[in-house]
This record gives sequence, C-alpha cells and structure tokens, in this order.
Amino acid sequence: MELLHGLLPHIVNGFALGVLFALIALGFTLIVGVMEVINLAHGSLFALGAYIALVVISPDPDILGAFADSYFSLPLVVRYALALLVAPLLVAAVGFGLEICLRRTYGKKKEYGLLLTFGAALVIEETIRLFWGPAEQSLQIPAQISGAFIAGDMIYSNYRVFAALFGICAIAVVWLFLDRTPYGSIIKAGAHDSEMVQALGINLPRLRLLVFGFGAGLAALAGIILTPIWGLRPHVGVDAVIPAFLIIVLGGIGSFWGAVAGGILVGLAVGITGAYATDWSILSMYLLLILVLTFRARGLFGKKTVLEQ
Amino acid sequence: MLKNLTRLLLAASTAAGLASTAVSQDKPIVIGITSDASGQYANSGASDRRGMLMEIEEFNAKGGVLGRKIETIHIDTETTPATGSRVAERLVSRDKVGFLVGAVSSGVANAISQVAQKHGVIYLNTNSSSPTESGKNCHRVKFVWDGNGTNFSQAAVKSSVDSFGKEWLLLTNDYVWGHNTSAATRKLAEANGAKIVDEILVPQGTRDFSAILLKAQQIDPNVIAAAIGGDDQKAMRTQVADLGLGEKYAWLNNQQDWPDIYGLPKENLFGVFGTTWYYNLDLPGVSDFVKRYQAMYPDTSMKVPGNVFYNGYWATRSLLEAIEKAGTTNNHAVIKELEQLKIPADVRMQHHDAYMNAKTHQMQQTIYLAKANLKGEEDDMFTIVTNTSPEDAVDAGAEQTCKLESFEETPVYEP
Repeated sequence: MELLHGLLPHIVNGFALGVLFALIALGFTLIVGVMEVINLAHGSLFALGAYIALVVISPDPDILGAFADSYFSLPLVVRYALALLVAPLLVAAVGFGLEICLRRTYGKKKEYGLLLTFGAALVIEETIRLFWGPAEQSLQIPAQISGAFIAGDMIYSNYRVFAALFGICAIAVVWLFLDRTPYGSIIKAGAHDSEMVQALGINLPRLRLLVFGFGAGLAALAGIILTPIWGLRPHVGVDAVIPAFLIIVLGGIGSFWGAVAGGILVGLAVGITGAYATDWSILSMYLLLILVLTFRARGLFGKKTVLEQ
Repeated sequence: MLKNLTRLLLAASTAAGLASTAVSQDKPIVIGITSDASGQYANSGASDRRGMLMEIEEFNAKGGVLGRKIETIHIDTETTPATGSRVAERLVSRDKVGFLVGAVSSGVANAISQVAQKHGVIYLNTNSSSPTESGKNCHRVKFVWDGNGTNFSQAAVKSSVDSFGKEWLLLTNDYVWGHNTSAATRKLAEANGAKIVDEILVPQGTRDFSAILLKAQQIDPNVIAAAIGGDDQKAMRTQVADLGLGEKYAWLNNQQDWPDIYGLPKENLFGVFGTTWYYNLDLPGVSDFVKRYQAMYPDTSMKVPGNVFYNGYWATRSLLEAIEKAGTTNNHAVIKELEQLKIPADVRMQHHDAYMNAKTHQMQQTIYLAKANLKGEEDDMFTIVTNTSPEDAVDAGAEQTCKLESFEETPVYEP
C-alpha cells in the first residue's frame, strides 16, 4: 500500500508527460502516415512555433509603434490565446513551403526526402538563432495557469495540469477531425492508399500540402505548450524530434492511436524511472522501444504486412 | 680548402639561423580556442570565448607578445569529450597552434588535456570546475582557472548545515563534474554532522525535472545541494520556481555560472550559490572592466560580463603575460612562470590576492557566496553574501591526488 502511495504521484506525472509526448508525435505521425516522409524538421518547427508565440505574447514595442500601448494593455491571457492560434497557423504556412520543396523528391529514393527535411531543420534552427540569438529565453504564461497547488502532501504545477488537459483536448480534436469529418476520411484514405485516393479524383498534391501544414501546425502547438517546461532555446527542437520519432515507431508508423499510446507509454517510462532510477530515465524510452519491437516489429498499432496477413 | 668549406658552412648556418629568427619574430602566436559552441554549455562557451578575445585584442593593440601578433582558431568542442579530444588533436597536429585555451565541461577539459600533455602544448582550462581537474586529472601543461566544487563547498557547506539542518539531498548531474562536486559536498557535509538522505543522478540533457522534484518532495530534506549545470540547470530552476519549492527547502547550488541564469526571472534564483566574480563588486577596476566589455560587445544579449567571461579573460591574460616574462614561447619556461603566478587583489578585481598552486596548477582565488537580489535593477541579479579567502576555501585533497608529470616527461614545444 505504501509502495502504491509512493508510486501514484509518479504514475500520474508520467501519464501527464505522456500526453505531451503524444502531442509532439501527432503531427509527425500524420505526415509519415499520409506522405511516407519522415520530417526531420519537425523539431525545428516545434521550436519555431514557440519563438513565434514569444513574439505574439511579448513583441518588440518598436515594431508595434503606435499600437504598442494598446497591445500591451491586453491581458496576458488574451495574448497567450492569440499566440496559440497565430503561431501554429504561421508555422503551417512554413510547412506548406517545405512540402512544395519536397515535391521533387516524391517517387524517388526516400533518402532525398530525409536529407531535404534534415537540411530544412538546420536552416530553421539557424534562422531562429539569427533572429532571436542563441541565449535561452522564457515564454510568459498567464497567472491563471502558473503557480502550484497542494494535493495530499505534495506540490504540483498548475501549468502541467493545464498542459496535460490541453494535450488531451488537442488529441481529441484531431481524432474528431480525422474520424468524423469528410476531410479526415480523405486523409485516412490517403494514408492507406494514396494512389487509390488520386484515382478517385481527390487532388493528391493539395491533400499532401494540407496534411504537411497540419502536421507543422501541430508541431508548433506542441512547442508552445512544452517550452515553459523545457525552456526556449534554438536547439530545443532536438529534444522533441528524437522522442517523436521513437514514439511513432513504438506506436506503429502512421497510426494515430499508436502515437497516443506510444506517447503515454514513453511518458510513464520516463516518469517512473525518473523517480526511482533517474540515471536510466532518458535511456528508458529506448529500452521500451527495443522491448516492444522485439516482440512486435511493426509497433503496437502498426499495419500488418502482406506476409503477416 | 677544408677551412674555406667550414667557413662557408658556418656562415650559411648562421644566416639560416638569423633568417629563421627573423621569420619567427614575424610569425604570429596562434591560440587554439577549445570552447563549446553547441550542446549543454554553448552559452557559457560563447561567454568564455568573448573573454579570451577581449584580452587578445587588448594585447594586440599593444603590439602583441614578444613582438608577435596573436591569432586564434576556434573549433566547437560540442560539450562532448570525444569531440574535445579530436579538436585538440587537429589544432595541434594540423593547425600547429601554440597554446590551447578554453573549457566549460570538465569531461571535455580532461579529454583535451590528455592530448595537450602528449604534445607538450600548454592548455588553460578556463571554466570547468570538477575537483578532478586539479586532482587526479592534473597535468604539467594544464592550468585550471575556475574555483572547483570543493572550493565552493568549503565556502558554503558548514554554514548551511548550521543554519538549515542536517538532512541533505544531493542532485547530481551524471558526469564527472557533477559526481565530483557532489562527492566534495557529501564529504564536507558529513564532516559537519549532516546526513545525506539520498542522491539523485540527473542525466545530462534532462529537461523535465517533474519526477525528480516529486521524489525530492517525498524525501523532504532540510537542504537540497544541486550540482547541475548548463541548460539542465536552467530547466531545473524554472521548474523549481514554478512549484514554489525554492522557498520550501534550503537550496545550495554550488557554483552558478552567469550565462546559465542571465535573463531568467529573479524568482528562479532561489537558494545560495557560489561564484568567483561579479560585475557589480565595489572593487578597483571592476567598473572599467565592465565598460570595456560593453564597448567591445555592444550587441551581445548579455549586457554585463560574468564569471565565465572573467575566467576566460584572466586565463588568457596570465598566459600572455607569462610568455612576455619568460621571453620565449618555450613551454617549459612558460609553465615555470605560470607556476609562480601571483596577482594582487586590486589587479585581479577580487577581495583577496590570487595565486597559482604550483603543485596542482589550480588558481587559488576568492570564492563568493551569493543569493538573488530581488530588489536590484534588471542585470543586478546577485547579492554577495560572503567572500572567502583562497586559504579558507582550499581543496586540501587535490595536492594528494594530483601527480604532475615531470618536465623531463613533458615534451618540449616552442611555437
């Protein structure tokens, strides 16, 4: 009983962390599923989203000019909400540009797409460094979601609860979109068989453009939510892209629920080992991956190959 | 005939000697800068580099060293020991640098110093603070410029046990500096009656401290002694402040590098921490030094210099002055000058005179304890609580563990 009492806060913490990992992986898995492109720029888009949010929340007064006073008189919660809306849209636009660049690699060796997105990751990171400098920055969060509360005899962060709930809502909205809307059906069909979708008259290039933008926007959203926890610096994207890649492989490439389940499992592994064997906490996600793939090579929810059917 | 031939040969060799002397007087002295530009200590590496470059510019403005201009080559050591080793080897073997300067990570510094000793190249470890750097990993060619974990613990631990309580939790960055700093803290704390209730190892690159902070709350110590550096420390500070745990426990953060906290909200600067210098010390030369920094680096985000910059500056300055005093770049002669180094407090801009320990090659200097200055202006983040003389903060164990190579074992190197 005492063990459970000691373990419970870490299970809850791990679950909350897992939801955030799932949010990071979601955009990544959508792009992989529909376009079979591993977007190594996902982490940089994550970082870019957070930096754009920084500009929306605390812009340079010189840039705003005469509007500076009225803008800063807006409550922080309003500017933060605006950032949650504007930054993903702008990063989605960057995602559109990246997809257009990727078109020449379709139908060719997969390495070309990998290299292009890797190059894009470096360009985006250096651009961030150029505009915002290399120093660590902090993203202001509204007082309503900062601070801490006491439950039992432990102190918990208000922001973490907000972040986990936001993550759950974001995952739910994405699922509803994919499962309950015609556009979602088209995206899922595209993930299953893009040639058939095109044969049925769906504009495949436009579908890919929208999916890439959507995935980039989700990366940006994850960046805004996670940087108050992880800190904001140009290379913060590396902390995102590696777990994202691991989670989609763990969960099954292209699987929505795989990304969610994978994220939560990784969060639990990191959260629980973080409490009892901290030096193994980063390693734990890789050990989990090895364990799962040893027994189920396609991941938890990955599609069966023809030979397995 | 033989006599004429001999005279001819003698004249030719004299001419060649004179020519090579003339060439070497024009040849610049090249310093290899081995600082991090990426990874956990990228920010501190940049600050370190700025300190070195400011001093080099000041020396070049006076005509260089021994009439020779000073040039630099910098390669990113990536906060990775293997890269540090590779970079050092390349700088010495391919780029033929005269000296190596720079480190923040103790793992990187140790890797570089092994290469340096192999070639006989003088290496200045500007900013890494593991006690092993001037202990079991000391080398004849290496000189350590920063205070180490033992120095800071000496200055802080006893008073913390008396003031805050005996149950201590150690948070340890899982690499050489973290381990050795926590080991030093443990030894001193236990010697002063404290009990180490647990030690949590924090892997390098940890960004999410939630599990660790929950565990810390479950342990509920009196004091948390954290040996966490670089970006990891920034993440830890933000998350501790968010939970209000900075007020709940007494935090002892060993050394606090300026680039790691500059720009953070002051509320994140909980606890007590050590440093070797502060830009707002009311001491001769400090204000002018800050102005020179601001004139040279008007666009840097760090508007005032900190301890990392200061160490990079002083290491480079001391090296160049030692070369001048020795009258040669011969490594043995310069090492002997550095081993006798003494800098008065007013020149050094600290409260006490500083001097090189010839047995460990670590600079002995004032150790400051500070806490957050919540009422000061934006950049004035610290309130200096105490200053401890080098004698009172000495790492007594270093002389027993440090075995410097003899001069005979150290290759001669004269760039």
